[in-house]
Amino acid sequence: MRFISYMLALLAGAALSFEGAIYAELGKTIGQIETSFYNFFMGSIIMSLLWLFFGKGKISYTLEAPKWSLLGGVLGVIYLTSIVVSVPFVGVGITMVAVIIGQLVMSMIIEHFGWLGSQKNKINKEKLFAVLSMIMALILIN
Amino acid sequence: MGLFMIIFTLIGGITLSAQSSINGTFSRKAGTIETTLLTFLTGTMFLTIFILFFGSGNILALLEAPKWQLSAAFLGTMYLLFTVIAVPRIGVIATNIAGIAGQLVIGLIIDHFGWFNSLVIELDIKRVFALLFMVISLYFIYKGNKRTSDDTVA
Repeated sequence: MRFISYMLALLAGAALSFEGAIYAELGKTIGQIETSFYNFFMGSIIMSLLWLFFGKGKISYTLEAPKWSLLGGVLGVIYLTSIVVSVPFVGVGITMVAVIIGQLVMSMIIEHFGWLGSQKNKINKEKLFAVLSMIMALILIN
Repeated sequence: MGLFMIIFTLIGGITLSAQSSINGTFSRKAGTIETTLLTFLTGTMFLTIFILFFGSGNILALLEAPKWQLSAAFLGTMYLLFTVIAVPRIGVIATNIAGIAGQLVIGLIIDHFGWFNSLVIELDIKRVFALLFMVISLYFIYKGNKRTSDDTVA
């Protein structure tokens, strides 16, 4: 069962790369922002269905939650649009390496300070080595 | 142009990590499906306004676009679904690291073969080394996170 879980996680990541490559193609015909719109629009429909049938949480919490915790959607738009714009210029590989590096380094900073309600998790020697290797990777792949 | 794109994409990654922290906090009280639904809904609202004022593409061309291009929307849902299944069994860190590995390897393979009409960028020795450094870095992140959680327990 653990093995299957690892395979699912691998496939999940693979899905993101496929998504980036396909949306880059769609972006060429309908426009990049329009492609982002399509993704979020279609995602809203899919998630609404999933929510109707499987939602066990509390959607009304949206109204009580601190306003900053509602900003995930806008941030997601920046992420997706950057991928759709970048892939036709530099390819899927570099795009994914850059996204991952931005993501990993920023997560370390966010967790180091415990920002945005995350659990505090200090930067240590291992994490610094990790950043160093990522920079090497980015230099090599470019 | 290439360098500019890389910086733009790095910023995309930065916003994504901020999103996961924010959504993580929100989902503790609202639930995973509810959080994702809210993310997609607010994203749609924001983009609707943005496109009405600044859109230069042709949104109606969606209806004529090949269906395989439209099917990408389900890949995002698949990502979410698989992640939600894996996290309780192998943990957040292992799930993320395995996910990133899958993303990197498939990204390089798509480039190599030029799938989906994308740029063809051959998997040369430099790219193999880049992949190796990413693997090393993932290993250190795993170790680093494991150490801090061990410290917290102790």
